[in-house]
Amino acid sequence: MIKIKNISRHYQMGPNTVKAIDDLTLNIAEGEFVSIVGPSGSGKSTLMNIIGCLDSPSSGKYTLAGEEVAGLSRNRLAGIRNKYIGFVFQSFNLLGRESAVENVELPLIYAGIPPKERRVRAMEILKRVELDGREFHQPNELSGGQRQRVAIARALAVNPKILLADEPTGALDTKTGAQIMALFRELQSEGVTLIMVTHDPDVASQAKRIVQVRDGKILVDVPVEEWNR
Amino acid sequence: MTTFKFTESVKMSVRSIASNKGRSFLTALGVMIGVAAVITLVALGNGTQKSVEQSLESLGSNLLILYSGETKGTSLVRRNTSNIKPSLTEEDLEFLNSLSPALITVSAPESSDSGQIKFGNKNTVGTVIGTNLNYPEVRNFYPIYGSFFSENDLAARKPAAVIGARIYKDLFEDGMDPVGQKIRINGVGFTVTGIMEEKGSSSSDTSIFIPMSTFQKYISGSDMYALINIQASDPDTMRELQTHIENEILRLHKLPNMDAADFYIANQLDLLNTLQGVTSTFTLLLGSIAAISLLVGGIGIMNIMLVAVTERTREIGIRMALGAKSSDILSQFLTEAIILSVGGGLIGIFLGITTAIGANRFGGMASSISINSVFLAFGFSVVTGLFFGGYPAYQASKLDPIEALRYE
Repeated sequence: MIKIKNISRHYQMGPNTVKAIDDLTLNIAEGEFVSIVGPSGSGKSTLMNIIGCLDSPSSGKYTLAGEEVAGLSRNRLAGIRNKYIGFVFQSFNLLGRESAVENVELPLIYAGIPPKERRVRAMEILKRVELDGREFHQPNELSGGQRQRVAIARALAVNPKILLADEPTGALDTKTGAQIMALFRELQSEGVTLIMVTHDPDVASQAKRIVQVRDGKILVDVPVEEWNR
Repeated sequence: MTTFKFTESVKMSVRSIASNKGRSFLTALGVMIGVAAVITLVALGNGTQKSVEQSLESLGSNLLILYSGETKGTSLVRRNTSNIKPSLTEEDLEFLNSLSPALITVSAPESSDSGQIKFGNKNTVGTVIGTNLNYPEVRNFYPIYGSFFSENDLAARKPAAVIGARIYKDLFEDGMDPVGQKIRINGVGFTVTGIMEEKGSSSSDTSIFIPMSTFQKYISGSDMYALINIQASDPDTMRELQTHIENEILRLHKLPNMDAADFYIANQLDLLNTLQGVTSTFTLLLGSIAAISLLVGGIGIMNIMLVAVTERTREIGIRMALGAKSSDILSQFLTEAIILSVGGGLIGIFLGITTAIGANRFGGMASSISINSVFLAFGFSVVTGLFFGGYPAYQASKLDPIEALRYE
């Protein structure tokens, strides 16, 4: 599903070149549930942005679902994001003026789905994340866990190959966080590929595979059983 | 852009405009005022131009006036000719009458003097004008009651008088029939034959028309005419006709050239052109002032749209992460700007038309709404939206999604 080969990502900070990602290689198969862990500044966010096609590597190859995406134009990347990737953010990133169902419809608008079909699909997905009855509430009328479930529904709306979650439980209490993780495991069992960035070891160990990043390189890449030992 | 994307952009824009009604209204207000100002001011300018043209046409059409005296000018307004030595003769008039009807329709000599008019114990002051039977036609000025003096009156130097509407009001009881009544002009008795129509200008309405022969006998004591009114047959050849008459009158007066002339010709076209020039400059000036306010309205839109882009940076980031292309973001913000400016423009058109009609109806100002100015103002508001909305929308579309998502 994801084939990353020898990618680097450099930033120019004044006179210095910062290597956020340094010659990194990573493969993730379809249906995997992977946690990317590491301290802040380790390059895990940059890696996440590259996997999510929000950013392009300075060098190296990145093949997503058989398509070479390194070096594509902004517009092509937008299309790839829309088609293959669902994002879940720490701070939910819902549009505050729009209702839950309208938020879920957003990626469907950019996928060119007609309004009636959008509504039907968005309603089904909200039901899937157990938010039926809350479809027409605005985000500020929902609890944190409910908001994150709206965000997950939105990420799932276009049937993406990959769900990318950036600290999905970071803004939630433990109990709600556990519910979200349960939902992720369910989704994985249905065949969705899940990649989650977190610095919380408890949350990370909910995945099946742990990738630890430091200084833009992969330090450890092991199944969760080994990690726990 | 597909129709689908266009509909989506419109929906998003309408929603965003509606969610911030107060600010949207203030943003559109600039364009509203600009468009309303363009339409109102151009309507007032056009109205002034039309009313000037109408009052000129009321003098008669295709009019040339052959004046005694040396002063050159283009005045068609009757001057007090009593202090200018009349220099035009019966011979001049005969020459004019001998010209083909293809050149001149009709001509009428005219001399005037101020006179004291009395009827019974009432008296007033008016301008006594001696002329012939062609006068009503050449000046487009006819009796409304009774009749103009007759051929016979002219031939026999009879003291017959047609009085202006003001003179009638000043001398006679309302509703009284003046025809056949005796009035005195500078002490001489005249029989009233009719009342002239009301022209609304005091110089016309305080005139008294008497046969030229009678004028010469009782008032001027001279055979000369102060001026001759000439109606040209064809407006397109008036300039040539004027030159032809100048040359012939110079010859009749035995004068070498126009510098030595004891007459001059005023041409209605010259006056019309001068006035049209003045009023169209006036309209243009008013229009430009209004256009500047439209420009300021456009800058207002740009200002607010830039603020909106900054405020909604995170929203833009989210939309991009979910798959919005640069063009989607561009069209969303551009559509919003255009809806604001076009909405403002439409309300402005309504306000402008209402104000122009109101100024006419309640303010007594001449106004004539020009369809062109309506289209122009509307077109300008569309262009304003495109142009001044374009830059902020472009800025929005070029945002980096990662930066935009991090924006607090």
